[in-house]
Amino acid sequence: MHRFLRLSILLVSLFAASSYAADATQAVKMTEDSLGPLVEQPIEFPHFRHAGDVNKEHPEKGGMQINCMYCHTFARRSAVAGIPPLQKCIGCHQSIESVRETPRIKKLFEYWEGSKDGKIAAKSPIPWKKVHDLPDFVRFNHERHIKRFVFQQNRPVQEACGYCHGDVKTMTVARRSKTLSMGFCVDCHKKDHLVSAEGGTAIGNQAYWYGFKKPVVNASMPLTAKGPNDCWQCHK
Amino acid sequence: MIDSSFDRRDFLKVLGWGGAAVALSGCGNTSVEDGKETVVSYVEATDFMIPSIGVYYNSTCAQCDAGCSINGRVREGRVLKLEGNPASAINRGKLCGLGQAGVQHHYNPDRVREPLLRNGEKGETITWEKAYALIAEKLQGVSGEEIAFLTGAMSGHTKVLLENYLASFGCKNHFAYEAIAPGVVRAANKKAYGVAMPRYNINKAKLVLSFGADFLGNWVSPVHFSQQYGQFRKGVNGQRGVLVQVESKMTLTGANADRWLVVRPGTEGILALGLINALGAASGDVAAEVKDYDKARVSKDTGVSVEQIDKLVALLKSHTPSLVLAGSAAEGYAHGSQNAAAINLLNQVLGNVGKTVVGAASVPFPQMAPILGNTAALASVSDALDAGKYKVMFSCGVNPVFSAPTAMKFKEHFAKVGFKVAFAHYLDETALQADLVLPLDSALEDWGTSVPEYMAGDDAQINIQQPLMERLHANTRGFGDILLALLKQRNPESYKNYPDYYAYLRGAVLQNKNALGGEGADDDEFWNASLSNGILKLAGPVAGLSGGVSAGGLSLPNAPVADAQYPLHLIPSVNANLRDGRNANQPWLQESPDPLTTIVWDSWVEIHPKKAAELGIVEGDIVEVAGKNGSIKAQAYLFPGIHPDAISVPLGRGHDAMGRYAKGFGVNPFHILDAIFDKETGELAMHETRVKVSKTGQRVIVVKDEGAAGGKQMGKKIAVRTSTDKVDLSKEV
Ligand code: SF4
Repeated sequence: MHRFLRLSILLVSLFAASSYAADATQAVKMTEDSLGPLVEQPIEFPHFRHAGDVNKEHPEKGGMQINCMYCHTFARRSAVAGIPPLQKCIGCHQSIESVRETPRIKKLFEYWEGSKDGKIAAKSPIPWKKVHDLPDFVRFNHERHIKRFVFQQNRPVQEACGYCHGDVKTMTVARRSKTLSMGFCVDCHKKDHLVSAEGGTAIGNQAYWYGFKKPVVNASMPLTAKGPNDCWQCHK
Repeated sequence: MIDSSFDRRDFLKVLGWGGAAVALSGCGNTSVEDGKETVVSYVEATDFMIPSIGVYYNSTCAQCDAGCSINGRVREGRVLKLEGNPASAINRGKLCGLGQAGVQHHYNPDRVREPLLRNGEKGETITWEKAYALIAEKLQGVSGEEIAFLTGAMSGHTKVLLENYLASFGCKNHFAYEAIAPGVVRAANKKAYGVAMPRYNINKAKLVLSFGADFLGNWVSPVHFSQQYGQFRKGVNGQRGVLVQVESKMTLTGANADRWLVVRPGTEGILALGLINALGAASGDVAAEVKDYDKARVSKDTGVSVEQIDKLVALLKSHTPSLVLAGSAAEGYAHGSQNAAAINLLNQVLGNVGKTVVGAASVPFPQMAPILGNTAALASVSDALDAGKYKVMFSCGVNPVFSAPTAMKFKEHFAKVGFKVAFAHYLDETALQADLVLPLDSALEDWGTSVPEYMAGDDAQINIQQPLMERLHANTRGFGDILLALLKQRNPESYKNYPDYYAYLRGAVLQNKNALGGEGADDDEFWNASLSNGILKLAGPVAGLSGGVSAGGLSLPNAPVADAQYPLHLIPSVNANLRDGRNANQPWLQESPDPLTTIVWDSWVEIHPKKAAELGIVEGDIVEVAGKNGSIKAQAYLFPGIHPDAISVPLGRGHDAMGRYAKGFGVNPFHILDAIFDKETGELAMHETRVKVSKTGQRVIVVKDEGAAGGKQMGKKIAVRTSTDKVDLSKEV
């Protein structure tokens, strides 16, 4: 009897301790629509101006429909999408006179040329804040998803990126708009996705079927496959 | 009232739940740092720089002098992992554990980061300009004879620069010291074969008889020999090679042998001569020399039974070609040269020279050839220091205050030098005595070339060392760069075209492009290809071996007599990871278990179970090992692989400086060694020290990986349970 009492006291106190720990590490409270926090960035980067649709009536409010992968160039070649090198921003902007004197672009050039007050040395990286983060025990591979959806399936880039990143082309500073929880990933991996070629398409140097069951080909049905469902695919 | 004592089991259960609760709270998004972490992007990126994708550079391992080539993975500008470079004939894509730990040398938190000038007991940070100016000032009016430079083994272009620097003063005092080096064997080889370091074809031998050469662990070029050993075990024409190891303390190689024979320490040469006699194949002066070494006498002297000698002779007769090796256990005596000569004679009598002992290729640039380090150099420098000969002394890559026997009084002699400059990675024992400490780049940040002492391939090779990443600390410098700066003080005209050591190296290599196989190639192309290979291969002259068989000058002393006061031989053993202790501040090396005892992070005294029983010692007893020149205390480990009249303490631990992972772990047997030298070569006779062992009354639990011998083994009875004092290791496996 006493033993249980003692145990429950221990349990309660530990639980209190752990939920306290949970509180302390809880970086972000999820809002109802699962939006991530508003993140303050060193430069308020306007995604909509770069990637957004063209606005015929008010061109200055519309975007330029730049492909996501023009700047996030590592996404199709590596596990991480990467932030574009500063050199890339400058590469275009040094020849775009019209916005050269706007506050954001002036700030941008401070990182390249150094700031007048000497606080920013020339050629320093911009300290962007991470908006989409996964726990360290999750390994997400951008390359695989881009190869699968963009190159194999010819889906529009913005759609493919948007599965996880939301409608970035309407955002200024990007904001997380999906939960990126395990349930979110598994939901999609459970679905039957169209695949284009029988026998799979080479992704990296492996056939797409590598490690999975090859679907039965049935002429009357579209060929589909599910995403990988093994723990080790993400928890390596 | 509630009893506050919790049952341990309950506590663990609850802890388990608590753990689960913590783990749960770690799921979801709580460990995610949206909006908190900074992502740093490249400022300017080249095409091959892709985050999360590694690039690979070839360079050379600097953890020991074997000269294996490394291939390092670099990701996001950080070197992560080293492997072997397959193009090298030495290690052919493999790397030893010590080599792997090279990254911990590079990222070590205890590296010296700024030039330090002594101010009383403290080191004061100064600039490089000031350091160079100070050196110039101190060298003012000092003659060449009053300067000394102490280094480890050296080769390649740094050696060329160093020699040039010393020549600019007319200084001839360059001492190359290595605490553990086959100095005696080199000299004996020179006599017997005409070259100091021939090539040993272990893979072509049907029988290897090794007298204490730990070629799988640390001897000369262990990674290369390990690969040859693999081939040797597969065998020539399906006949699996047989390995017989003769030594007084089991080494890693001994543990792999088919037959391990324990000999009384110091009698290796007697056994070798006994074998020659028993083989009956010798004639002339050799036969005359060995005629007194009949089996009965040899057996009595060495402790190896007549039956074992007969078996060994039968093996030597049926397995040709064979290969006989003389290792550090045979050379470590006052008569070490004689031991090594007797063992080499056995090789000659067996007709192995030209078959398994062959000439090695050499680099056709003598000025780049290695200066081999040895312990005789330490003795001469120590004597000269004692005589007060030097006003300025430089030391680089060596730590004699740690590795010289206290009996040599090196530290006291060193103190007599007016101005001491140490080039250092760590504030080790020697750097702490210096007046000026110059911080060096790590081996993964520096440029260089080196020529290995043991040339493994048919071609000669020059190893290239190149940075795998940017300097971690802004104020460290490469040794080559420092030498160049010092040379510019002396001789600005000759070196004005070289802004840095890299430029010098590139210029020097391209100047000899034709000899290096780049005839007709474009300079840039050739240089880039060389860097990407990490090795320059060239057809060098192959030294011919002298063929004569002669016992000239061989005179082995009788078996050593027992010393009543100090009855035990002290064998300072060389562990494959820690070697002479220069890498002791790399925690991987401290925590990877010793291959034979599985002990970690500490020193131990190996003692035979019979001797231990005699002295009433059990495992974990803290024992005092006392010799004529001091004593050390360490935990006892009962080990059947050692001669009952010997004990063994591993080298490499027992630092009292150097860094957080080295300082205070274990004891340093170097310090209690007697200053006895080999009579012919003047090398320190490392195995000559006699000691006595006594209990101190304390006892600890030995921290080791090994489980109880003959434990449960999943019910499979793989190893039978035998008490250690009943084990007979000389039985064939
Ligand atoms: S033997 Fe090991 S430590 Fe020595 S050079 Fe080769 S890899 Fe490096």
